[in-house]
Amino acid sequence: MEAISALVLDPGTNTTRCGFAGEDTPKTCVPTYYGIVPDPETPKYFGSLKIGENAVSSVIDGMEIRNPMNDGIGTSQLVHISWAGLENWEVTTEIWRHCIEYKLSSRVEEHPLLVTEPIWNPLKNRERTTEIVFEDFNVPAYFLVKSAVCESFANSKPSSLVIDVGHANTSVTPVVDGIPLRKGRIHLLQSRVSYRPFSHNLYTGSERTPLAGLHLTTQLRHQFSEMGIRMTPWLMLKSKTTYTDLTNPPQLRLRDYGFQPHQSFIEYQQDRFIHEFKESMSETWAEPRSFPADINNPGDMLRPMAEKSYEFPDGYQRRFMLDRCVATESLFNPSLSPKPFTGDTPKGIAEMIKDSVDHLDADIRANMLSNIVVVGATSLLYRFNERLSQDLVAMFPGPRVKLQSSGQTPERKYSAWLGGSILASCGAFHQLWISKQEYDEIGSNIIERRAK
Amino acid sequence: MPPFRDDHILLIAPGSTWTLAQLGLPESFTPAKFRIPSRMFPGVEEGQYLPNKIHEVQEGQELLLGNGNVVTAGPGGKPSKKRKVGEPTSKPSTTTQTTTNGSASTANEAVKKPTGDAKPAEAKGDTAMADAADGAEPHDDDADEEGNDEDEDQEMNGTKDKDEDGADGKIYYDDDFDEEGAIWCIEQGRIVNWECFFALLLHVYEQINPTFHTPILMISQPCWTCTDKERICQFIFEKIKAPGFCMMDAAAAISAAYGIPHSLVIDIGYEKTDITAIVEYDIQELGRTTVPVGGNSLNKHLQKLLPHLSEDEIEQLKHSNICEILPPGIPIPGEEDIERDALLLPPEISTVGMGGVLPPKAPEEEGNEEEEEGVTNIAAIVASGKTQEYLAKKEKEKADKRAGLAAGEKRLPNYKREKNTFSFVEKVHEQALGEGKEDNPVEVHDGEKMDVDPAPAANGEPKSAVDAPNPSGADASAAEPQTNPDGSKPDGEPAKQGPSLMESMFSGTKDDDEAKRAQEKALRREEKKRQEAAQSGEKRKEIEVGTERFKAAEGGILEALADAAHRVVSSVDDISKRSDCWDNLIIAGNGCRLRGFKDALVNTIIAKYQVSPSSSGMFTSEIPSNIPTPSGTGTNTPQPSAYSSQQPNALLLQAAANNAAAAASSHHHSSSAHYPQTPSSLKIAKIPEYFPEWKDAGFEECVFLGAQLGAKIYFVADQGLNKGFVTRADYNSQGPQAIHNI
Ligand SMILES: Nc1ncnc2c1ncn2[C@@H]1O[C@H](COP(=O)(O)OP(=O)(O)O)[C@@H](O)[C@H]1O
Ligand SMILES: [Mg+2]
Repeated sequence: MEAISALVLDPGTNTTRCGFAGEDTPKTCVPTYYGIVPDPETPKYFGSLKIGENAVSSVIDGMEIRNPMNDGIGTSQLVHISWAGLENWEVTTEIWRHCIEYKLSSRVEEHPLLVTEPIWNPLKNRERTTEIVFEDFNVPAYFLVKSAVCESFANSKPSSLVIDVGHANTSVTPVVDGIPLRKGRIHLLQSRVSYRPFSHNLYTGSERTPLAGLHLTTQLRHQFSEMGIRMTPWLMLKSKTTYTDLTNPPQLRLRDYGFQPHQSFIEYQQDRFIHEFKESMSETWAEPRSFPADINNPGDMLRPMAEKSYEFPDGYQRRFMLDRCVATESLFNPSLSPKPFTGDTPKGIAEMIKDSVDHLDADIRANMLSNIVVVGATSLLYRFNERLSQDLVAMFPGPRVKLQSSGQTPERKYSAWLGGSILASCGAFHQLWISKQEYDEIGSNIIERRAK
Repeated sequence: MPPFRDDHILLIAPGSTWTLAQLGLPESFTPAKFRIPSRMFPGVEEGQYLPNKIHEVQEGQELLLGNGNVVTAGPGGKPSKKRKVGEPTSKPSTTTQTTTNGSASTANEAVKKPTGDAKPAEAKGDTAMADAADGAEPHDDDADEEGNDEDEDQEMNGTKDKDEDGADGKIYYDDDFDEEGAIWCIEQGRIVNWECFFALLLHVYEQINPTFHTPILMISQPCWTCTDKERICQFIFEKIKAPGFCMMDAAAAISAAYGIPHSLVIDIGYEKTDITAIVEYDIQELGRTTVPVGGNSLNKHLQKLLPHLSEDEIEQLKHSNICEILPPGIPIPGEEDIERDALLLPPEISTVGMGGVLPPKAPEEEGNEEEEEGVTNIAAIVASGKTQEYLAKKEKEKADKRAGLAAGEKRLPNYKREKNTFSFVEKVHEQALGEGKEDNPVEVHDGEKMDVDPAPAANGEPKSAVDAPNPSGADASAAEPQTNPDGSKPDGEPAKQGPSLMESMFSGTKDDDEAKRAQEKALRREEKKRQEAAQSGEKRKEIEVGTERFKAAEGGILEALADAAHRVVSSVDDISKRSDCWDNLIIAGNGCRLRGFKDALVNTIIAKYQVSPSSSGMFTSEIPSNIPTPSGTGTNTPQPSAYSSQQPNALLLQAAANNAAAAASSHHHSSSAHYPQTPSSLKIAKIPEYFPEWKDAGFEECVFLGAQLGAKIYFVADQGLNKGFVTRADYNSQGPQAIHNI
């Protein structure tokens, strides 16, 4: 009988993906968002949990939608959700379990498990993950891999500058010979035997910013409400009437559930059409001229922008032109954000990358710049890579800047998972697994010794 | 290995209520020959499962055996005497039993040693008593040995006919009608009781009794996990010892039946609906979903509206002609329905929904009517003379009333009537009928059966093939009219009910004469049915319902399905293919048989999600020149390309290549563009016409057609060249995981 195949789990901030090592796409992809219905009977999570695509799209009285990466705050304010803020481990465990048991296997305890993590994941989270995996899932073997490393491998490059434009974060990570670049460039072998307490600045040139998919969603939501658009999501409607005159809208045909769903649920449902808007309408400004600061007064544009029409769930049809680019422009030029930042305005994505490259030793800089790998679903934005390439070429006129990015949507969306799948199925990976026995002997700290 | 032959291939499609099966691929593909309820009953011994509920024969009771013998139970349930009655009948399924008195029948309810996860606890008290009695009985050595065997061996025994002597020497008899204590092994597609599921598989296998060279194709439920599939694979090779095995996903089979490369498959089952997008014959695994609503949700809602009706009555109402969902624009009679008015769509959209898309199936309706005769069946129990008298009297009264009606009243179509009636057919339990009839087992003559079971209906054939006490095919419809999925059985009296909306829309040209003749014909037919009913122990009654019958789907099921469908298509990674999915909507599964349901679902999707064409494209006048064509850097928006991860579908792809070639050639989008919002149109996929046998049966169970197509390709055409199935050798070298490598 053949060896039991390993499972690969990629917990993203928007969705959590899981599948078997060796395959080219994950088998399941469930929302990292979950619902919670207040219920005094189940005190464990202060309510009953609703996990999975269907569950979070069911209209349930009192159900609140949350993200375990940052609990307790309504989705619209989730500016900085990430593993670093991961608070609710019980829920995370349940989401992982759902992911694994839903279509893969009813016997979690039989499969070695590889989990991906962001580079800024603090030690306490890494230890906690280790505990969950061995105590709750009882897996025979386990390993944690940095998602940037996976993404680099998924693009067939052991060394690259990985740019992951995901949901809650956009990150840049230099990966050299399959490991994230560290301060002083410690050799892989050395780093495995010597124990060091975790600290973020162990890594050279890795940066991150919240300018990513969630930021875009927030900006678009703001933009729409400024326009006076009723953002009633599909689930709240009975049917629609098409109209184009916002000043005189027809009456909404609302679906009456007998209760008002939680605001976080409505926002989560709004995200569905905002996401559709991103896919079919949003465009990244990639013209030689910089984006006009005032779109109502674009000045002398070389060419007119294509006009496209979008129909909102309530039937409102609107033609969008330059305003299709406003929200995406804020990824590169945050000062132009329709919704101003509350704190400091972060640097744009290109600038962040420049910071990262500037931190690199001169001898690898050229190598990194000619091996830029772009992944993450938000990089699917129309003409995103063109714009990024344009900005980077302008910033680094000397060395050859070359972006590599898969032309296939799944490889872009699931690149971290795919890299994990490649790693876990390659023969040499055998020696890296941390076994249950080792965990039993050493405890959760084993992760810091074995998986840097 | 010798090549597999068409007639050796075994197809099994397990479902939550019925398991479809068939041996052999006929020249022209047919609906499943076997329909077996997906449930078993706890057997006499621990871990044993039987296809029918068994009762212990009580002292003094008589039992008519399949071979014509009558056994009378003596003390302790041991057979005391045997005698022969009349000529042997060829159908053990008609095993008949009469009771000595009313009180004996209650004791009969006891299930002997319910095992496993037997759900109902109702009969527990009786069971305990029966068990206690058992304890006193000396067991054979045989029985003990069996008891020590491992589970799966017991399961195998479990399917043996236990009509005669039980292992402990007692007499047991099968009860075809008693559903109490049944263990349904599949719930919402998931296998909830593995022991029972395997027993069911074995039972199916032994019913069909195929050769050693029989490879098996099983339809897999979308929600089965990889581990589930491995377990089944292991069972098939280690217990059934098949030489080849493969699984075909239900949605893949459905789309294969339609023979189209892209589609959105909505498979509506009993308590769940699977929604799957298919692109280039490839299942979009990541976005597919299973929603916990199905055909039974309609029952639940009707029950809420009509609390005074029983479960069976609701089920038959649902299947009757008078229960339908009216299209937008047709008001519910007698109701000032503002809500429905509001749902009316702007004209251009509703034309898309109603006119072009769905040619209402008038011929299908007719087909159903014709089938009625064929499907109506005689039950195994024969009514006593007294009951017959009673029934006959009732019949006459009713017929008179009806004749008056027919003469005087103009036929109003169902959708214009505030109230309408359907006739409810009740199975009269043998005990009730046989009361007071002692020592007089009534025999069922074959001839009688033939009388009332004319031209085999589409699924009536298996009768001769099924030589076992299991209700299947037409037998099943007799035993459980309420679950007959083609809905034809309970369709009582079309003449009285008035035509359904579809009928009346498409038979508008009928002149009076014709109508009269039709009425007469219907009356005659009813009369005949009535007679049959009298003989078969069926009781009919007319039930009148109001406009609730138009509201079965108003409990939110349509919205739930529409929303899930939208989510599924929105998750298709290749955005350029989403509109192809919307344009090839497949609504399958028996849950969608309710009249008007499919149209209502399409209309719901259109009303909420369809965007007008202007939103799905650019304004041509303003098409700019600044949309770049992809440059050579490879950094552009991903180009949609076939991203295939599933091998088996590649085979289908090949096979269907000929008829898909035409369609595929036209679908080469320029990839530089942004893909527009979907759906801008919505169309129901056309039912393929070259499968005549499927016309009458309805295409709801086309998953089985897909299974036959798949089996033909995997086992016959391809013979394993492309690893379309697991061979014995594969299994030996790779183990159960081999199922994933095909
Ligand atoms: N085609 C697309 N165009 C623009 N944004 C997209 C597209 N597809 C997905 N997204 C956005 O990408 C984000 C998810 O990115 P992902 O890389 O999956 O994040 P994570 O790994 O953190 O879960 C979401 O905000 C989603 O709206
Ligand atoms: Mg990610």
